[in-house]
Amino acid sequence: MTRYRRVNMLMKILLTVLLLSFPVSGQAGDSNRELINCDLHRGACTRNLSGSTVTLTVTPRPVRAMQDLLFQVSFSDRLPPNTRHPYIDLGMPGMQMGPNRVQLKSVGNHTYEGRGVIVRCPSGRRTWRATVTVPDFGQTDFIFDVIY
Amino acid sequence: MLSTETLYLLYLSTGFTVGFGHCVGMCGPLVVSFSLNLKEKSIFVPQMLYHLGRIATYAILGGIVAAVGSFTVMAAQLERIQKSVMIFAGVLIVLMGLAMAGWLPVGRIFGNQSSPGRWISRGFGKLLKVKSNTVYLPLGLLLGLLPCGPVYTALLGAARTGMEAPAIYSGVFAGMGLMTAFGLGTVPALFLVAKLADMGWLKSRDIIYKVGAVIMTLVGIFFIIRAIRF
Repeated sequence: MTRYRRVNMLMKILLTVLLLSFPVSGQAGDSNRELINCDLHRGACTRNLSGSTVTLTVTPRPVRAMQDLLFQVSFSDRLPPNTRHPYIDLGMPGMQMGPNRVQLKSVGNHTYEGRGVIVRCPSGRRTWRATVTVPDFGQTDFIFDVIY
Repeated sequence: MLSTETLYLLYLSTGFTVGFGHCVGMCGPLVVSFSLNLKEKSIFVPQMLYHLGRIATYAILGGIVAAVGSFTVMAAQLERIQKSVMIFAGVLIVLMGLAMAGWLPVGRIFGNQSSPGRWISRGFGKLLKVKSNTVYLPLGLLLGLLPCGPVYTALLGAARTGMEAPAIYSGVFAGMGLMTAFGLGTVPALFLVAKLADMGWLKSRDIIYKVGAVIMTLVGIFFIIRAIRF
């Protein structure tokens, strides 16, 4: 076998390995654990949003996937007048899970509530992100662990 | 509140983006395995039949979840059979990998006519030799039940649509339609991956084919481990 043919064969084998192994490459471990900035299993988490403080509580605790959850968001200050209701987008860092939005309704005292479900990822990754958005005001991320 | 047309478009585009961003990684091993198993045969009809079966299952699930009006109630029931489906998918990939490399004596293992598991031997024998493309339709129907995050998310929306529908039947049709749109959206990404594995050079050289078979077997084992952990 000539040197060229050997290199050619090696390249083809490498390409085959790459093609067949890339489907599992995204499933090895949960590399996003270090992004966790909140322990929702223990209680409320607080983040800053455009100078205001946002507190997120999820019940029942511990926070489990595939069950109905109540999301409660409280703001330290009254939201600017004419601001549309805030909402929460649930997703996984580094993994597309499809749009999963929790619409929030005001329950008074700068607090909003909504019901939603965190789905289970069969890859075993458990790091989830809840992005609280206040339209035309700003958004903040809560990254937390979920029990499967 | 979004219009029905907008919702269908949203589900179709979600399926499309999720297909490239998620399905390729999670369900790619399956379509690549089918593609390689077909050897020199055209992959188009078998792949489309597989996707048709998968989408039909999504539509049925969408209809059920819309009728029930609760995602979590249906998911709890579904979870019981999903583990078995995952194990089946893993075993199937392993068998395809071994058979592809010629390391699985299909005739000896599955071809014993006096064996009590004759129907299994016939079933796997057919599947591994794949004389008829139609086998991919029931395969798609079954593997459409595989646990999948974006499918769950889409079903959440379908359940919501069912709850908000004025009547049960309109909710069921909306749920089925939305899940069909979602499933259709995922097809291009998975077909592209299958097509990549269908490249002539990949199937033509024996050593490359054997390397592919080894990786396929490992991917199948990975599926089984993931199923046991699920």
